Amino acid sequence: MEKLPLGLALDLRKVVPYETGSWRTLLPVNIMQTPPCNHGCPAGNDIRGFLRTLAEKKDYEEAWHVLTRTNPLPAICGRVCPHPCEDGCNRRDFDSPVAINSAERAVGDYGLEENLEHKKLIAARKEKVAVVGSGPAGLSCAFHLAKRGFQVKIFEAYGEPGGMMRYGIPSYRLPNYILRQELDNIMKLGIELECNIKVGVNIPMDQLIQHYDAVFMGIGAQRGLLIDVPGQDAGNVFSGVEFLREVNSGKYVDVGKDVVVIGGGNTAMDCARVAKRLGANVSVVYRRTRVEMPAITAEIDEAMEERIMFRYHTNPVKIISDDDKVVGILCVQMELKEPDASGRARPVPIAGSESVIPADMVILATGQAVDYDGIEVHTRDNKWISANEDLMTSIEGVFAGGDAVLGLETVSAAIGQGTRAASAIEDYVDGSVESRLASPPVIYSKDLNTYYYQKTRRFQKEALPIHMRLKHFKELYPALDPEAIIDEAERCFSCGLCFNCGNCFMYCPDNAVKISEKAGLYEFDLDFCKGCGLCAKECPCRYIQMTLEK
Amino acid sequence: MREQSKYLEGVDKKDLFASGHRACGGCGQALAARLVADAAGENTIACVATGCLEVFSGPYPDPSWRIPFLHSLFENAAAVASGVDAAYKALKKGPVNIIAQGGDGSTADIGLQSISGMFERGHNVLYVCYDNEAYMNTGVQRSSFTPYGAWTSTTPTGNTTRKKNMPMLAADHGIPYVATATVDDFRDLQLKIRKALTIVGPKYIHILAPCPLGWGHHGELTVEICRLAKDTGLFPVYEIVDGKVTNVKKIPAKVAVEEYLKPQGRFKHLFKKGVPAKEVDEIQEIANQNIERFNL
Repeated sequence: MEKLPLGLALDLRKVVPYETGSWRTLLPVNIMQTPPCNHGCPAGNDIRGFLRTLAEKKDYEEAWHVLTRTNPLPAICGRVCPHPCEDGCNRRDFDSPVAINSAERAVGDYGLEENLEHKKLIAARKEKVAVVGSGPAGLSCAFHLAKRGFQVKIFEAYGEPGGMMRYGIPSYRLPNYILRQELDNIMKLGIELECNIKVGVNIPMDQLIQHYDAVFMGIGAQRGLLIDVPGQDAGNVFSGVEFLREVNSGKYVDVGKDVVVIGGGNTAMDCARVAKRLGANVSVVYRRTRVEMPAITAEIDEAMEERIMFRYHTNPVKIISDDDKVVGILCVQMELKEPDASGRARPVPIAGSESVIPADMVILATGQAVDYDGIEVHTRDNKWISANEDLMTSIEGVFAGGDAVLGLETVSAAIGQGTRAASAIEDYVDGSVESRLASPPVIYSKDLNTYYYQKTRRFQKEALPIHMRLKHFKELYPALDPEAIIDEAERCFSCGLCFNCGNCFMYCPDNAVKISEKAGLYEFDLDFCKGCGLCAKECPCRYIQMTLEK
Repeated sequence: MREQSKYLEGVDKKDLFASGHRACGGCGQALAARLVADAAGENTIACVATGCLEVFSGPYPDPSWRIPFLHSLFENAAAVASGVDAAYKALKKGPVNIIAQGGDGSTADIGLQSISGMFERGHNVLYVCYDNEAYMNTGVQRSSFTPYGAWTSTTPTGNTTRKKNMPMLAADHGIPYVATATVDDFRDLQLKIRKALTIVGPKYIHILAPCPLGWGHHGELTVEICRLAKDTGLFPVYEIVDGKVTNVKKIPAKVAVEEYLKPQGRFKHLFKKGVPAKEVDEIQEIANQNIERFNL
C-alpha cells in the first residue's frame, strides 16, 4: 500500500463516493413546456425561440430564421398583428408583457435589409399544387409547400399579389414596399405567380383540380356586405372593402368634406383613418358602444387620437341623396337591451330620436363575405367555406383556409391556416396519416418562480405626432432601435425552457446537477440525486419538474 | 458547449465538498458547506466540530471532503484550528486558509470558550457557524440559537427564550470581520467567504442553514425559507468590519412573520387553534426590533 503523509487517513483523490441516489422517491426531469405566447399565436410562431435567440446571442439573423420557420411574413405581422401573444405573456402578471410585436417587426425588418433568404428543406418534388389567392393564407401555404419541394403556382384575381394585405390594409399601417419585399423573398423559393386570373371566372375550378395534385383556396372575404339601408345605390356610397381597394390601388378618390363610416370593425377604422388622411371630417356611426366594437383596441385609440368622431348608439335609417349624390344620412338613436345570440347587448331604436348627419360620402363597413363566383363548395352558415379538420373542403383534394374559412380574422390566423393546410396537403399527396406530436402543457404565471426576475420597463414604440400623421400615408411607427429590442427580448421569462440561470446547478445540496459534456446543458446525476425537489422549486421557468420515481 | 452562464459570474463551483454525503434531501448545511469550501478553494484546511456536518460528510472510507479535513470534539473546533495556525507559523509554512466549522450548538453553547479564546488570541482562522437553530444531529434539542416559540424535543410547548446574538458577541471581541449570510444568496455568501479569507486575524461568519428535518418543512423549501427569514427581518444579513455594521441587506418588500412560520412544523403549535397564538406577536416584535436596529 502506498504510504500517505502523516496524519492523512486516506487519499481523498481515490475516494469512491457513496451513491445516495437510491434514497430517492421523486425524480427531477427537464421538461420543455409550451409558453403562453406560442400557445396564443395563431400563426404558430416560436416566439420564445426567437426572443431567446435575440437575448442570448444578440443575433438578428438567427432570430429571423427561427421566426420564418413558421411565418414567412414577419415584417408584416410585426406591423399589423393584434398580438394575442402579448395578452397571454406571463410577464403581464409581473410588470408588463414583453413587446413581442415590436420585436417581431425589428427582426422582420432586419431580414429585409440584409436580404436574408429562406432555405429549402427538400430540393424538389414533381407534385404540383395550385394556390388560389395570394393573401396571407395562400402565401403561407405556398411558402411551406415550396420549402418542401412542391411545384407551386399561385393564381391571383387582382393586378398585384398580397390579397387584403395589398388592397385592404392602408399603407400608413403597412407600407407597400415592405409587402413587396417579403413577397419577392417568398417567390424566390421558385413559386410561380399569375395575376389577373380569377379562378372560377377566367379559368374553371375543374381545370385546376385536373392539372394539379392538390388545390388550396385562400380566397379571403373580398366582397363587401351591405346592410339594408334605403338609398344605398346613390353615388358616393362605398362598401368598406371597395373604398380601401380603390385607395390602395392608387386611384384618386374624392371624399368631399364630410365622410360617414358605418360599422365598428377593423375595416371601419381603416376606412375612417384613410378618409381622414384624404382630408375629410370623419364620423364613425356605430349602434352599440365602444366596448362592443369588434375592432382592435389600439386601432380605436389611434383613430380617436386622430380626431375621428365616434357616434355610439346610432343606427342609419336612410341615406339621403340629392341628384344621385349623397348629402346626408338619417340616423336614429338606439338603446341597449338584453344580450343577443352573439353575447353583445341588443340595440333597440328609441322612437322619435331621428337626426340627420351631413355627408358627402358614406362608407358601409358592415361586414364582408366570400366571393363564390364560379366556385361551388359546401358552406357553413351559408357564409364561409366548410372545411374538415385537415382543412379539406367538400371537393376531394381541394383545401381552403384563411378568412374564407374562419370568417373575418387576422393576418396571423390566415398564416397559421396556410401552414396547417400545407402539412395536410403534403400528407394528402403522400397518402400518409398526419402524425403531429401533441404540444406539451402551457405554463402560466402561477407555475413560475418569479423571484429571480427583475422588474423592468416595457419597450414603447413611438408613433408619429398627430399633426404629422394626417397629411400623408407614411408609416405611423418609424423604424425601431435594434439595441432597445434586444433589451426588450431579455425581458422574456423563457417560460418552460432552460435559460441557463444556473440555480439548479448552484442550489443542489448533493452536487447532483452537472453540465453535460456534449450539449453543455444541465442534467441530473441520478447516482446522487436524493429527490429533494429544491432544483424544481427554485427553477424560475419551471423547466424542471418532479415526477414519481419509477 | 454552452458558455459559462452569465448568471454565474463571480460564483465558484468546484465540488470540493463532493456528492455522496449522507445529509437529508434539501439539507441547508450541506449546501452551505459546499458553497464555503468552493469559495475558499483547494488551499484550505477544514476543522470541523462534531455535529451533523461531521457525521454526514466524514465517515470512513468515503468522506465528501476533497480538502484536508480535521474532525475534533464538539467543543474544540476553534482550539484545533488555533493549533493548526500555530503549527503553520512554527513550521514557517503557508499561507493556508484555515476554516473552523461548527453547528450552532458547538458555536454558541459547548464551544463558546474555545471560540472566545481563538478570537482573543488573534489566530488567523475563519470560523463559520452553520446555524440550524437546534442540536439536530442528536434529535432536535434546544440550543441557545433556538428562536422564540420554536418546538424542539426539549421545549415541547415552544422555546421561551430569545436567540443568542452570536455575531454581535463575536464582534465585541474586537475581531476585524464578522458577517451573516444565508444559503439562498450564494453569490453574497461566497463573496463574504472570499473577503474574510483576505483579512488576517480571526473572522466569524454566521450562515443560516435550514434543517428540513428539525424545522419540519419539505426539503424543496430550504431556499424559500431562508428568503422568508431575511424578508421578515428575523435574520438580518450584514457585515461588521472593524466594529462597524455595514452592507446591511435591505428588505425589498417586508413580509409578515406568519409567512415564515407557517411552512415550518416547529411553529405548527402556534397556529393550532386556527388563529395565531400570542407568541406570533412576540416573534413579530423581534422582527420589528431587528428592522429598527439594523435599518433593514
